[in-house]
Amino acid sequence: MLSLVKLVKGAIALNWRQLLLGALSLAIFVSAWQMYSWYLNANVSGYAAYVPYPGEVAEAFVDSFVTPAGTDGLVMSDHIIASLKRIFMGFVIALSIAVPAGLLMGSYITAEGLGMPIVEIFRPIPPLAWIPLFLVVLGYLKGPAAIVFLGIFFPILFNVILGVKRVDPILIDAAKTLGSKKRHLFLKVVLPYTTPYLMTGIKVGLGIGWMCIVAAEMVGKYGGGVGFYIWDRSDIGQWDYVFAGIAMIAILGILTTGVASQVERRLYAWMGMK
Amino acid sequence: MDGHEVDIRMEALLKVFKEETREIVALKEFSLDVGDGEFVCLLGPSGCGKTTVLRIVAGLETKSGGRVTVSGVEVEGAGSNRGVVFQEFALFPWRTVRKNIEFGLEVKKIPPHEREAVSSTFIDLVNLEGFENAHPHQLSGGMKQRVGIARALANDPAVLLMDEPFGALDAQTRNLMQKELLRIWSATRKTILFVTHSVDEAVFLADRIVVMTARPGKVKRIIPVALPRPRERTSSEFISIRGEVLEELDAEFAKTMMREMTDASVQHKA
Repeated sequence: MLSLVKLVKGAIALNWRQLLLGALSLAIFVSAWQMYSWYLNANVSGYAAYVPYPGEVAEAFVDSFVTPAGTDGLVMSDHIIASLKRIFMGFVIALSIAVPAGLLMGSYITAEGLGMPIVEIFRPIPPLAWIPLFLVVLGYLKGPAAIVFLGIFFPILFNVILGVKRVDPILIDAAKTLGSKKRHLFLKVVLPYTTPYLMTGIKVGLGIGWMCIVAAEMVGKYGGGVGFYIWDRSDIGQWDYVFAGIAMIAILGILTTGVASQVERRLYAWMGMK
Repeated sequence: MDGHEVDIRMEALLKVFKEETREIVALKEFSLDVGDGEFVCLLGPSGCGKTTVLRIVAGLETKSGGRVTVSGVEVEGAGSNRGVVFQEFALFPWRTVRKNIEFGLEVKKIPPHEREAVSSTFIDLVNLEGFENAHPHQLSGGMKQRVGIARALANDPAVLLMDEPFGALDAQTRNLMQKELLRIWSATRKTILFVTHSVDEAVFLADRIVVMTARPGKVKRIIPVALPRPRERTSSEFISIRGEVLEELDAEFAKTMMREMTDASVQHKA
């Protein structure tokens, strides 16, 4: 009991320490930025506009939610919703194709033999290479979503294949001796075993998804999106707003990964793995 | 066979493993009958094929020749009439103790309340009360194997096949689990085929000890252990049987050593 109390205390102490260190790290970063802006403003006035003060960026960040701007008069929340919509579309489609495909290719040599060549042709192509084509053919909502799909699809596919192949053969043996066969074996042993791999694929995929969406939206002309916002602000030289948009991307990226980690934790708890 | 009915019959088992350049005959002319309710230990030098025998009976390994029947029915693939306990425990890490034990019952589509009644019975039998909702990673090795045994028994198999089940445990836990297994065995009266490389374990547990030859494995000698249980490891009878078994085993061990050395020298020359 005493050791448990000690353990809990230790964990809290560790968290405080990490929190403090995190705050310190941020403070160092912001001060360095502030000083660099000062330096530019004092010495190289020509470039000073490109590196606005942290305070200016913070102001622009808040203002972006309040004052409608740009050709279509949108505020930041509209852009966020537009980006999230595309990410969500791309993610759902990627998940619903990559999971069954991965399970099949991991389980059957024939499926792997048929699928791998196609996968290997498309995998080395950066998703961004498809932007011109997809935007023209699919438009400004589905086009970027399709780019996101390509970014998310492969990490999920490969992780699921890996998961299926790594299923501990002794667990298959054990299940068989308990009477489990094909369908049951797949649903009750292979699938649960693969889930952590799937979650890794999802987390990696979402990270790539955010990179794809920003690039794809930048080329967009309407329909909003945070990437579009960044490009639009830079066009008219509002660099403090550009940085606000970049910060928004960072925050959204952290939030999505956070949600994925939370889902992962719940899932593991539900499956009783941790 | 003490007038018992034969439960597991292995006739002239042959097993050939094909490797790239050569074929390895793991078992040849392996024949053995195990009586109903009997406790038989398979003992032999490493690589003699004792685990292969068990896996063939379990239906996890195909045989290259011969015949296996369990309760008179020819073995074809794995099935729930043969429960297996693995050295590696092989518990499903995402399932609780109770859910691990109920796995086979789920396969048989037994309704939840009946499943729970059965799993409770076996949780009691293996002394795991209070750990129903724990997960394998929270258990010690000995407790994990208790789950392994309960999971196999919950399916009510005709025979229990145990592949060095206590091999991964420390000496103390191992001795305790041997006693526990004898208690469980006398409560359930299952036929047990038990693979081990420990002479001490075999003499402590078995009705009969089957000593196998070095590869290709076949029955070298069957040594009955007519001592009453619980057996005293320090008794003179125990020690004398232990000596007898060791003597049989040593000869085979020497053969294995010889072959490994010639194998190595052949490889060296090549």
